[in-house]
Amino acid sequence: MDRKEILIELKKVLTPYTESKEMLDGINEQTDLIKDLKINSANLVDIIIDAEAQYNIEIDFDAAEKMYNVGNCIDVISDKINKPA
Amino acid sequence: MKSVGNDIVALNNIDKQRTCQPRFYSKFITPPEQALYSQTGTPFESFVLLLWSVKESAYKYRKRSEAGLVFSPSKIIIQQIEQTNNFENDNFDGTQLANILYKGNVSLGVAKLYFRSIIHNDYIATIVNDDEDFKNVYWGVRLIDKADNENQSTSVRSFVLNKLNSLFLDSELRIEKSSVGYPVLYNGTGLMDIPLSFAHHGNYVAYSLLIYK
Repeated sequence: MDRKEILIELKKVLTPYTESKEMLDGINEQTDLIKDLKINSANLVDIIIDAEAQYNIEIDFDAAEKMYNVGNCIDVISDKINKPA
Repeated sequence: MKSVGNDIVALNNIDKQRTCQPRFYSKFITPPEQALYSQTGTPFESFVLLLWSVKESAYKYRKRSEAGLVFSPSKIIIQQIEQTNNFENDNFDGTQLANILYKGNVSLGVAKLYFRSIIHNDYIATIVNDDEDFKNVYWGVRLIDKADNENQSTSVRSFVLNKLNSLFLDSELRIEKSSVGYPVLYNGTGLMDIPLSFAHHGNYVAYSLLIYK
């Protein structure tokens, strides 16, 4: 799975947690989950759990704390997909 | 640098079942913190969300002086927590009914902060301070009618300005955002040295502010 494919799947994970649908349509690797997508920080752990299910991976909390923008999310997911536990 | 930090979790916007699953709470609660549960006398999901709100509040407190700080909840460690019958020297603007009160302390690296939290039927609200005495900290929680981002933002600003206008008569107060993202208060064109922190979730908004001079 390349970064573009991960991004497409990631959009599905983020959809329930943002009301900024226009911003979601135009997301790129610089998009910030809280500042740009207005995702409530209380949902950050939900997003990590949903991403784990979506990609069949496990994200430990050291990795999870990097996931504040889309590019970092893709880094973490890509790393876990390519190095299964 | 003087600062404030707060957080609110609206309990109607939370998946309680998921909150109680180890795969959820183990993402940000360390094993020594899990051992604090027996001291709280609250449902487990409330304990998990209480710790989350303390960690988020402490992060917001530190972010003001460390612009590059990344939210790492597993590195913000709650050291002590206890239920209390009342808060001394407290300036809370919100309903006092049916609230369960907690206080304790939390560490981020070498920094130690103190917190006060309220568990209400519908929300959990927290504030942090660098002193055990909160006499200079003002905070409030308000229910709003619509939960969209714009209304949350407008409502919390109006809520805190009402409070500040009652404290600073004949002033022209307004709120802007710093480049890092925290709110800053102006009187006319002059920056006021009153740190503010805002939080919103679902139909609840909350503020905390520090008046220390």
